[in-house]
Amino acid sequence: MIPSDPSKVTAICFDNVDVPNMRKLEVAREQGAYAFLPTVLKEFTSEKIIDEVKTSNIRGRGGAGFPTGLKWSFVPRNTGKPTYLLCNADEGEPGTFKDRDIMRFDPHLLVEGMIMAGFALDVHDAYIYIRGEFVHEANVLNEAIAEAYAANLLGDNILGTDFSMDLTVHRGAGAYVCGEETALIESLEGKAGRPRFKPPFPAVEGFYGCPTVVNNVETLSTIPAILEFGGKWHASIGVPNSTGMKLFSVSGHVNKPGNYEVPMGTTLRTLIEKHAGGLQHGTVPKVVIPGGSSTPWLLAEHYDVPMTYDDIMEAGSFLGSGAVIVMDETADLLALTARLAHFYTHESCGQCTPCREGTGWMERILKRIQNGQGQPGDIEVLKDAAYHMSGRTICALAEGAGAPVLSLIKHFPELLEAGIVEKAA
Amino acid sequence: MSAPQFSKARLTEIEALVKRYPHAQSALLPVLHLAQEDFGHLSMEVQQLVADTLGVRLMAVREVVTFYTMFREQPCGKYLMEVCTNPGCMLNGANEVLRHTCDKLGVKVGGTTPDGLFTVAEVECAGACGGAPVVQINGVYHEKVDAAHMDKVIEDTRSGEGAGA
Amino acid sequence: MTTLYINEQEVSVPAGTSILEACQQQGTEVPYFCYHPELSVAANCRMCLVEVEGWPKPAASCCTPVSDGMKVCTESQTLDKDRKLMMEYLLINHPLDCPVCDQGGDCKLQDYTVQYGASKGRYAEDKRSVENPKLGPFITTCMTRCIHCTRCVRFADEIAGTGDMGVLDRGDHMSITGIVDECLSSELSGNLADICPVGSLLDGPSNDVSRPWELTRHKSTCTQCPQGCDISIESRGDEVMRILPIEGSPEAWICDRGRYVYDAFRSDNRLLTPKARVRNKLANSDWDEVCAQAAKLLKDKRVGIIFSPDWSVEGLTAIRLLRDIAFPEAHVAFDLHRRDLRPFAFEEGFGQTTQQIEDAAEVVVLGSDLRQRLPLVKQRLRRRLRQDKPVTRIGAMNYRVNSAIEKDALIRPSDWPAVIARAMDQVSELGKLASGMKEWQAAVKGRHEAGKLLADALMADSCSLLVGEEIRGHSDAAALIHGLDLLMRACGHTEAENDGRNLIPEGMNAQALSAIFGDIRTGVGELFEAAEKGDIDAILLIGSDPVGDGLFPMQAKKALENVPLVQIGAIQGEISELAQVLLPAAAYSEVEGSFINVEGRVRVATSPLKSLGLERPLWKVMMRLACCLGHDVPAVQLQELREHVSKFLPDLAKAWDADEDDAFMISTGRNAEAACLPAKAAANGGVLDVVSRYSMYREGMWARASGLLSEAGKRHALADVIVHPDTLSGLGLSEGKNALKTSQGDFSCHVSTREDVSPGVVFVAKRGLAGDVSNEVSVQLGGST
Repeated sequence: MIPSDPSKVTAICFDNVDVPNMRKLEVAREQGAYAFLPTVLKEFTSEKIIDEVKTSNIRGRGGAGFPTGLKWSFVPRNTGKPTYLLCNADEGEPGTFKDRDIMRFDPHLLVEGMIMAGFALDVHDAYIYIRGEFVHEANVLNEAIAEAYAANLLGDNILGTDFSMDLTVHRGAGAYVCGEETALIESLEGKAGRPRFKPPFPAVEGFYGCPTVVNNVETLSTIPAILEFGGKWHASIGVPNSTGMKLFSVSGHVNKPGNYEVPMGTTLRTLIEKHAGGLQHGTVPKVVIPGGSSTPWLLAEHYDVPMTYDDIMEAGSFLGSGAVIVMDETADLLALTARLAHFYTHESCGQCTPCREGTGWMERILKRIQNGQGQPGDIEVLKDAAYHMSGRTICALAEGAGAPVLSLIKHFPELLEAGIVEKAA
Repeated sequence: MSAPQFSKARLTEIEALVKRYPHAQSALLPVLHLAQEDFGHLSMEVQQLVADTLGVRLMAVREVVTFYTMFREQPCGKYLMEVCTNPGCMLNGANEVLRHTCDKLGVKVGGTTPDGLFTVAEVECAGACGGAPVVQINGVYHEKVDAAHMDKVIEDTRSGEGAGA
Repeated sequence: MTTLYINEQEVSVPAGTSILEACQQQGTEVPYFCYHPELSVAANCRMCLVEVEGWPKPAASCCTPVSDGMKVCTESQTLDKDRKLMMEYLLINHPLDCPVCDQGGDCKLQDYTVQYGASKGRYAEDKRSVENPKLGPFITTCMTRCIHCTRCVRFADEIAGTGDMGVLDRGDHMSITGIVDECLSSELSGNLADICPVGSLLDGPSNDVSRPWELTRHKSTCTQCPQGCDISIESRGDEVMRILPIEGSPEAWICDRGRYVYDAFRSDNRLLTPKARVRNKLANSDWDEVCAQAAKLLKDKRVGIIFSPDWSVEGLTAIRLLRDIAFPEAHVAFDLHRRDLRPFAFEEGFGQTTQQIEDAAEVVVLGSDLRQRLPLVKQRLRRRLRQDKPVTRIGAMNYRVNSAIEKDALIRPSDWPAVIARAMDQVSELGKLASGMKEWQAAVKGRHEAGKLLADALMADSCSLLVGEEIRGHSDAAALIHGLDLLMRACGHTEAENDGRNLIPEGMNAQALSAIFGDIRTGVGELFEAAEKGDIDAILLIGSDPVGDGLFPMQAKKALENVPLVQIGAIQGEISELAQVLLPAAAYSEVEGSFINVEGRVRVATSPLKSLGLERPLWKVMMRLACCLGHDVPAVQLQELREHVSKFLPDLAKAWDADEDDAFMISTGRNAEAACLPAKAAANGGVLDVVSRYSMYREGMWARASGLLSEAGKRHALADVIVHPDTLSGLGLSEGKNALKTSQGDFSCHVSTREDVSPGVVFVAKRGLAGDVSNEVSVQLGGST
């Protein structure tokens, strides 16, 4: 049970994640699932819900960190077109694996959040876009949804009200770029997942040209608690501008890799040492990637940074999805960067010139340097290629591709120089 | 060789699926998954079948099939073993697992054993880094995998197949 | 309007304009590859980046709309570096093919590399190479050069509507390819080579023959269909190398017919030398000899003159002058597809521009294969449909427009009166009346429900009719057109600014033909019948092929067994086998002259190519002939001839002195007195209506003289005869060999079925067969003989 005293909250999304068979409606109900839903459907208005979400100051948990209430308020009403709610369960950012646990252990939490969000936005068709590899998780969701339909929690006239909503699980097929909201929409339209330029913004013109809201699994899973306990309650947890709890996926050179829900503002050190079993070797990490592979690297000197949007930005990186990849002094950072370069090359959709051509370029140079065949000037080329694809493309994948390379050059140039052969005089 | 067809049951399933979307083309990814289940891989004939079933252009199907990694135009081994080697897994020995598996089966990365049983592939982040190293075998996640685990899986699979033969 | 600052200069543009277009309007150059004014925005090349004050990152100017007070900067050190890097990225996989690539000299990649790029590339890794898809004979592919701008994909989707091109894979494995069986199926496929900014898609036929800087450009007018598009004829010396559209023309593209006819210019079928029949074989001769022979055949004889409308207006005037001087009793004919010679209530030609048609509230296509007849008008209709603006189509076939048309009806040609009468019923019930409509309605017994679609469209504020060959060639055409005229009057669509009566003509210069020949005109069939009867002694044929084209091949063949034929033309053709002498006239690329298109738009060609041989401009041939026939020549200089032209078309004189950009419109004739009631319908019993297929690749002497178009014609060929499956089964017949029973006898043919052909219609698709039965109005179908 979640306490109504914000200072006593230890979990929101993961409140019931360890309860056996929580995926079953029966069990979920015992833990309070859907208990508050009738109140929302019968007593709350759309404005009230959006207000509470705005007051909660929850920011998109998928990585972009955009204030959710604000996003919802952008949706134009009474356009004559249907509004769509899409749950982004594509979870492909290397290092991120938090949404998987919500979906496979407490799917009804997500479903309930989507019903409430759908109600607020006047949505009648909602979809969960789940990455294709999560076969098991998609099955779990489908079973939970079937249970919900049978219990009049989805479909026509939910719980005897005027509100009807259909929810469909839609599997992707292996494309990281589909985690980008416009690419997700393209994929849901049955096309290749190539991001769209903005404007127009999905809130106004998204799925088949209709108003569309795309939200992350964790974000939507937080909605039931926000509505039950109030936006002010949520805003009292964490720190201003980074409110609430956050699921952090911790992986790499830690003893207990896994997902940990902690209040925003928890320091990196606490996260790693108190929750993730501490470092495998040494007392401080060599490198920590704080928000998924697309974010710039933090160093040992940042070990005490509070995990908030603002603090991490000040430290030179981004909170992103909260995927913390920890590396100690045994890590081969050059190999890691080269491997990430391959990831981005493989996942680039290919539309924009710098990303399409530049990712492959960086990968090839890094491989050469790995093999000790680097040339003078390679570092300059890597820097140029990475820099000029950042902020110059339709989506942020290119910027993510540039981040590890630029971090390596900035903090560990000697690793590159070691692989560069001086030209014979 | 006659053109591939969906079974009646499959067609009913597809019909119901299409109804959940505003336009039939949205059902393309789910239907391709079903087709790949039915036919093993998405040959040009199967792609044409999907195009005809949904009423979309063949080019639209080709674009989707070639864009997404999970769709195969060529057949692969009966057991597809996909090893993730991205940072979370790499830092915990994934490269060694990959090398070991390839050596054990006598194939290169991406290759298939001569008996058509196993294909070993190197893939991108599987989204389960907490259980690194992660190997997906025919879609099932195996986590905290080491060489011994792979050896056991291969052995068990082989004897299972041998018993059936 | 939105006001912004571009490089500190204030600019005002309509709200919603992109920064790139605002820059273009202001005259500031911003580089781009993927942007194209006729295509949707893709924003993928990233070459058009500009800086906006207050924005942390540069913006892609092609997809970013302007806002009030925006401060845009298009030149800076950062942008310099960005552009340099973009070029460097593009040249990573792009091969260094410049010396062997046809795009060289006309290539954005080259231009921008020089302007913005570094002098040395730093890429030292492997480059990828790509297989080349086969797209047919018109487009050569070299996909390793592709920079993935996706202009071709967008063109195939949005403009052509065929969706032939697509993007496979992703990342740097991405490749653009086509799914085609034989060749691209769009009639606009040649434009792909124009829009490809690099040498990836190239014009196949002209590939590797010359370089852009070797070519001289001649601004000209295409005469392959009544659209009369602006074309640039590009020649190396006197050899025509290729034909391209001209930027800024009213229509953004040219069709494959007008583009690929260019190999006819230097084909063996060109008539470049005078020829005369010696011992029954055509042999090269000289002007004096053929003129003497022609004179012998024509002097003081009763002559019938048949000519093509596609000569220049000056040439047409010269024909009139020759007739007046040498054959003052002669009648002329110029329309191979018209049976009914009674005056039409609205004559051939458009009452509107194609832009006005595109903008009308409703458009109705009546009996026309618009895609092949006027491809650029069909293109306008596709644009309408993409904007969800309505198009209605009624005809014997659901002629392909590469877009879905919902308001659609299949009818037989004999149903037209019933269709129009049904429309009249509806509009008159709503109080829309015109004097004479009641009588027209009363003269028709039946009603066809397709008329409802027509009536519904007529109710809009503005309605454009596109009246096609099924009506124009109908034996009761004048009555049908009168009926349509009554409908348009009743519904208020005949005002000067809003005159939606558009009748698709046979060819160019429709407005001039009325003015010049209206009083001496007769029908092609009539002329040949007169010749067969012995009322005419000789036929003078100028540019036409009444055996290879049109509705009267049987009559032509019979007539020419009786009387001699003097042929004047630019192309030799099959008809020449029946001619005694051939006088070579200059092609439309080789004349200085005026052309009037279907809209009435005047174009003047002023930089012709030199003649390849002994051919001369038609008007000079006419004057020479007049001279040989013993008369004084009315004009020796073009100026003098133009004085005669002005007598027929006083408005035309303005065009000769004007600046290029002015568009002069000659209006299309309307005949208020041309009232005709529909004829009584004959009983239909078991008879099928004949509709002849128009093939843009095969119709006309020029097309048949072109190897390229003939090749395309083969690839796009249909079965001999097509009928609706119900029609065939109703007769107890099956696909395959059957017999067409006509008034001329029985013809064996191969019959196939299609659902998009109207029941009760025999759609004759193969020319050889069509030529034999094309003047039949109705036939019967029987089992194989």
